[in-house]
Amino acid sequence: MNTRPDIYVKNNRNTGKRSVVAGLTLLSILLISLPPFMGPYGESMITQILIFSIFAMGLNIVVGYTGLFSMGHAAFFGVAGYTAGIMMVHYGIVNFWIIAPISIVLATLFAALFGIIALRVSGLYFLFVTLALGELLHSVAWKWRSMTGGADGLTGIPYPSLGFPFNMNATHFYYLVFIIFVVSVGLLYGIAKSPFGSALQGIREDEHRMQHLGYNTWMYKYLAFIIAGFFSGVSGMLFASFANVMAPEHLGVHTATLAVLMIILGSDRVFFGPMIGATIVLFLQYYASTFAPERWPLILGTVFVLSVMFLRGGISIHLIKFWNKMGSWYASTKT
Amino acid sequence: MAELVIHILNGISYGMILFLLASGLSFTIGIMGILNLTHGSLYMIGAYVGLSMVGMGGDFWFAALVGGVITALIGLILERTFFRFLYKQINEQVLLTLGFVYIFSNLVLWIWGPFPKIAAAPSYLVQSIVIGNFSFPVYRFALIVIGLIIGAGMWWFQEKTKIGAIVRAGMDDKEMTMGLGINYGVIASSTLCLGAFLGGLAGFLGAPILGAQSDMGFPILLLTLVVIVVGGEGSVQGALVGALLVGIIDAFGRAFFPDFAMFTVYAILIAFLLVKPTGLFGRR
Repeated sequence: MNTRPDIYVKNNRNTGKRSVVAGLTLLSILLISLPPFMGPYGESMITQILIFSIFAMGLNIVVGYTGLFSMGHAAFFGVAGYTAGIMMVHYGIVNFWIIAPISIVLATLFAALFGIIALRVSGLYFLFVTLALGELLHSVAWKWRSMTGGADGLTGIPYPSLGFPFNMNATHFYYLVFIIFVVSVGLLYGIAKSPFGSALQGIREDEHRMQHLGYNTWMYKYLAFIIAGFFSGVSGMLFASFANVMAPEHLGVHTATLAVLMIILGSDRVFFGPMIGATIVLFLQYYASTFAPERWPLILGTVFVLSVMFLRGGISIHLIKFWNKMGSWYASTKT
Repeated sequence: MAELVIHILNGISYGMILFLLASGLSFTIGIMGILNLTHGSLYMIGAYVGLSMVGMGGDFWFAALVGGVITALIGLILERTFFRFLYKQINEQVLLTLGFVYIFSNLVLWIWGPFPKIAAAPSYLVQSIVIGNFSFPVYRFALIVIGLIIGAGMWWFQEKTKIGAIVRAGMDDKEMTMGLGINYGVIASSTLCLGAFLGGLAGFLGAPILGAQSDMGFPILLLTLVVIVVGGEGSVQGALVGALLVGIIDAFGRAFFPDFAMFTVYAILIAFLLVKPTGLFGRR
């Protein structure tokens, strides 16, 4: 399936690890201290980037690590978002500690169900099934007007309440998203670097060989599918409150392929690649919606084309090379 | 009873549009291994170009041909500049062609405006036939006839001509076919052009009953994919049977369960992929 040449980033293990830790610390300090200086636009921008980074990095477990091109994971993003939204709007339950588990568990259950169906077939047909399952839920959201608001979307979704005495505002929500982002990245990093993650990459490279080595590859792919569904759910649950609205398109192929674009643009072979991709896509979207909102699909389509034709390895590969060069330059100045 | 007949006829005439789309796309997938998601957009462009030709005073059939030729050219350009670098890389093809779906639908919106348009059928085909208490437009009959003629032509082309034999051989074993000294690239490109031509033709021929709007490309593409999965890729008979089946089920779905129209179609798709992923007439 995957005939693309592999791009492995070679670097000295010690300086590599040290530079990653340094980079992460710097990023965290920036993300924690920035909000007061950013103003509402910057804050909402970064909130959105973190939410979609969870989605894209989670999806990368299936798309990048396992090599299964799913066009249906927006379904779980949307299920969690709609569940959270419906609970808050229609039933008045705003407690985060109730909403989050229910919506994420529901999204994961949907992933467990859809995974059984989708993984019965492979290749092109896997793509069709995931696409059809996502569009199936899209048409349900479209028709079930009383609950989902139909084509107009489910509007007026508030921020969840954490049970603290103060009211949630955009900054508090930003920090909530940030904490969940850090936990998710930790979990995803653990998964990616575990023997399980290595087995997934083995399946991507040569499934038959993995089968002959005694791996139950179906179960590995199935778990990867569910794990990606779980993180899609986490992201969707947060997105509902962030955007205040859920629309049928959030369940369908549009959102699913946007996440895949983030992965490909950023690089599917680098752990933080999808986050870089999400940042680029969302910044483009922001500037397009400011200057030429009616031309956004044109710009987005061009980004799709350019990243497939010219950025096959992903932007992150080049960023990492640059970072390593800086690292070796820094090391040479000390001696 | 008369109502049943009407729904079946509606389904068959809609199925013919789907057949024109599916037969072209199915050969593109079968021969070139290229999943061309822009096929629905080509359909849309064919409809709009044809409408513009009619607006400039062109004849209906001439407009349909021009629409088809323009989309065939677009297909050729896409193949020469993009697809040929992406053989066998399904994931990249999906992202690339999906990008073009966004680009084309936005360009059409830019050029032709946001309002849905509808084409007028030729004046000698605007009457209706009365069946029971219902009337059925003659134009839909004409569509059924056109679809059957093109289908018969494609079957003859695929089964009885030398080029058709090369095409079938290429779908079964590409390397062997090339090893026999056949210039496979030219054949493959022409097949894609033919598919794009049929797609564009279908767009304008469908415009009198389905209209034209800038977001029609993707829904029709999904239906086309369903037809291909049901019929099996790379087979004219499969595309015809699949298209008629999907067209009729869609017509009944719209008539009796209007709330679940698309739902029924996706359910068929999923059921088929699980039970018989090669389709009814698939080559594999």
